[in-house]
Amino acid sequence: MTQAVPLDSLRAVCETGREALAADFQAHGDALATLAGRTALADRVLFSLVSTLFPSGGSADCGYCLLAIGGYGRRALFPSSDLDVLLLCADARAAESVSGPGGSLVRMLWDLGWRAAVTSRLLEECDRFEQDNPEFTISLLDGRYVAGDAALTAALRQKVLPALAAREQNALVRSLAEMTRERHEKYGNTLYHLEPNLKDAPGGLRDFDVACWATAVHELSRQRAWTAPESGWGGLLGEAAGEGYRFLAAIRVFLHFHNGRDDNRLTYDLQEEAAARGIGTGRTAPQPVEQWMRAYFRHARAIARLEKRRMDEALARPSLYRAFEDWRTRLSNSDFSVHHNRAYCRRPAALADPVFLLGLYEFVARHGLEPAVETETAVEQIVASGPYAAGWPGDPAAAGPPLRRILTLPSAGVALRAMHRVGVLDALLPEFRAVDSLVIRDLYHRYTVDEHTLLTIEGLHVLRHATFEPDRRFAEILAEVEQPELLYLSLLLHDVGKGMPGENHVLASVEAAGRAGLRFGLAPYERDLVIFLVRNHLEMSLTLQRRDIFDPEAVRVFSELVATPERLKMLCLLTYADIRSVNPEALTPWKAEMLWQLYAAAANYLARSVDGTRIAGSAASDRELIEVVRGSSALAALAKPLAAFLDGFPRRYLKLHAADEIAAHFEMAHRLEERLVAGETRAAEAQLRERRGQYELTVVTRDRPGLFAGITGALSTWGMNILKADAFSNRAGLVLDTFVFADLYQTLTLNPEERGRLLGDVEDVAAVRGPSEAFARRRRAPLGPAARSRSAVATEVRFDNSCSATSTIVELVARDRPGLLHRISELLAGAECNIEAALIDTQGDKAIDVFYLTRRGKKLDDAEARKLRETLVHGIEQE
Amino acid sequence: MTKIEAIIQTSRFEAVKEALKEAGIEGMTVTDVRGHGRQKGHTEVYRGREYSMDLLPKTKVELVVPDRLAETVVEAILKSARTGKIGDGKIFLTKIDEAIRIRNEERGEDAL
Repeated sequence: MTQAVPLDSLRAVCETGREALAADFQAHGDALATLAGRTALADRVLFSLVSTLFPSGGSADCGYCLLAIGGYGRRALFPSSDLDVLLLCADARAAESVSGPGGSLVRMLWDLGWRAAVTSRLLEECDRFEQDNPEFTISLLDGRYVAGDAALTAALRQKVLPALAAREQNALVRSLAEMTRERHEKYGNTLYHLEPNLKDAPGGLRDFDVACWATAVHELSRQRAWTAPESGWGGLLGEAAGEGYRFLAAIRVFLHFHNGRDDNRLTYDLQEEAAARGIGTGRTAPQPVEQWMRAYFRHARAIARLEKRRMDEALARPSLYRAFEDWRTRLSNSDFSVHHNRAYCRRPAALADPVFLLGLYEFVARHGLEPAVETETAVEQIVASGPYAAGWPGDPAAAGPPLRRILTLPSAGVALRAMHRVGVLDALLPEFRAVDSLVIRDLYHRYTVDEHTLLTIEGLHVLRHATFEPDRRFAEILAEVEQPELLYLSLLLHDVGKGMPGENHVLASVEAAGRAGLRFGLAPYERDLVIFLVRNHLEMSLTLQRRDIFDPEAVRVFSELVATPERLKMLCLLTYADIRSVNPEALTPWKAEMLWQLYAAAANYLARSVDGTRIAGSAASDRELIEVVRGSSALAALAKPLAAFLDGFPRRYLKLHAADEIAAHFEMAHRLEERLVAGETRAAEAQLRERRGQYELTVVTRDRPGLFAGITGALSTWGMNILKADAFSNRAGLVLDTFVFADLYQTLTLNPEERGRLLGDVEDVAAVRGPSEAFARRRRAPLGPAARSRSAVATEVRFDNSCSATSTIVELVARDRPGLLHRISELLAGAECNIEAALIDTQGDKAIDVFYLTRRGKKLDDAEARKLRETLVHGIEQE
Repeated sequence: MTKIEAIIQTSRFEAVKEALKEAGIEGMTVTDVRGHGRQKGHTEVYRGREYSMDLLPKTKVELVVPDRLAETVVEAILKSARTGKIGDGKIFLTKIDEAIRIRNEERGEDAL
């Protein structure tokens, strides 16, 4: 016989209990006490209802029992969480006897203000793992006896679940991993949201639960015994994650009380309020909201790491995957090994050596493997307690080269995140510490500043594999960037100023970039480039928004700010990555198209305006020249003769070359002048240097017809493939030509003594002294085809007579091959065209050359242009 | 009530927004759009390849105002959006029967 349900008294108990818990939390902020109190209150109500509603009153041998499952089972019943109950029955007869009371139980719980869900199952049904409903089996892991037949609960916990876990471990953990993956994907796989969801986002409370479940399954299948998950974690991470759980739980309790519903989004307003009350900190003293949110991200990061580790341990992989991983073990080397898709350090003690430590992350960046738990723990301990506590130990300049390599490797994002996680990135780049978990509130950004920064770098690496045509255009630009590591370094530093004092974050970032550049031993021109990119990282975006990008004047102003094609490429890519990483929808096709149009217009402007503005006047009145002179002590002493040397050069020259290069050019010109004064009528100065796997040849001589063709011919005869070149002349008729070429046959690499002979040949050709015998022999020998793919690139020749006041601009696109530039210059010389300036570039199989031509001192007329086009197309295609 | 739709140069948006603010208008809906009128497309040649942009990027500003303010708003947009070049955009006006604020179901001009 069932008794009458004392609903009124239970309602009073519930209301009083809830009010007391709310008041207690308001006064002390102890979330765990609130959760335990609500759980106890629910237990009391449930027990009371069972004893009055159910047959036999839930006595010991009644054949059914009630289990608290989910959060309620874990004694983590948040103020607005569901009350999940399992009505576990021994057999069908017992199930039938409780079906009616079960329904009444749900109704009454709702009447009493509990969001209750009661599920009924037979014990034997709990022994099956349902692939399409893994949540049920996982919820059983939290099962806790509340009322009824205790022997049934014991059977479930001591027999059924251990056997099930042992039998279905793989399926269970894989389901858990899949559910976690899907959940994380909804939040962009990052925990660094400006308004995070405390429960479901990566690093949220659900991740802590996942860590507990993974541990439970792992231990059940191994030992067939239940252990408290936290008891086995220990160590720094276990403690940090436990602390994180308490912090997040406190916020969630606060949110539930505040919102009156199960809404777990920590909005800006509620961040303010929670920080003001010191929620989660164990104190009621107010805290600055930025500091409080940083604490949140630190805790979330610990939980996310714990979840990842526990899942790693629990995850048993299928054989195909194992086979792939076995293949990856071949990546192991003497310092690092690979097991189960994780990078292990063979000599953990060596991680105290900063260069070796960066070697680990270079390995990670190269192969896209996360460091193994043990390795990461070893790093964490070294960084937390060792010499790293006071900053980067040893010479920071020695860290420059490995950092550059890490930044350009395909999985740089994986490495940088791993470094950031354990404090290595902060030690290496203290400027980055300023933006660690930093929340800047605006309507557009979705992530913290550090996360946004890392996303920019990852975004560019992903761009390399772009298949979507609009993205491919930017990918092509990226492939052309000469020093991508400087672009990535600029991205790493572009927003660090946001975490520094001052109104203008750009200026603070610029200062930080300057400091970092010095520390890492960047060359002056490299440092200048990074500073330029950081200083102007908003310029392209602002031009898109505030200027009419189809207005030639707006394009001119922007292009002159950028000044060189290389800077333009880098600034364009930085802008692309920056906008794209604001939030997933920020880079609309509309904006991407605008960015591309501005890039193309500026690139064209730079190619067509080389002779538009030339250096004139004295060093004393020329601001750009003053800056250049300031940048070099050697030049400072030569300000006056330097101005004479530069008089008439395009202004672009000052942007293309660093102060030390200009000093070297001036020195060459000075030597040439001395030789001419000494009576040599035909002289030339040439220099050769190796640079990033290519060679750069600089020639200074007096201008004469066919000079460019002669030099390109000499290089071509030596089998060198010219990739880039520029040719400028000053008002006094001095020519400065620079060629960057690839040594296709490794002639200079394998025979360093040949470098002098090549220089000799170039100087002879430039000075019209006639080639050496060796040169003449080589010249007679035809060149074989270059080992390059032969894509279809049609020869295109375009003339422009409007952009330059004195020259006709010829833009030529053709399939690149060795000797092409020589062929073109021969054709131009044959047509009696003088090259006033030239910009030569190569993009994959495509040669893109721009020549500023005159014929008999004037621009080409239409008839001459038509004839020259025919000559060029015919001459190049025939070749 | 009148609905005003202005298709303007993106570069003029900040100026238009300021002008509307000065005219006492706070609320508006702004969309990035593409299109063309007499200002046909734009073609840029880059690396020997032609990149045509048949539909040019513009910004659409939409707002609904009491009839008595319509002319003031139109004037503000005209002055602030005009550069005098082809492509400055257009303004369209339509009559609105009713406006309802979803939060509290206010209607008519009170809902604006």
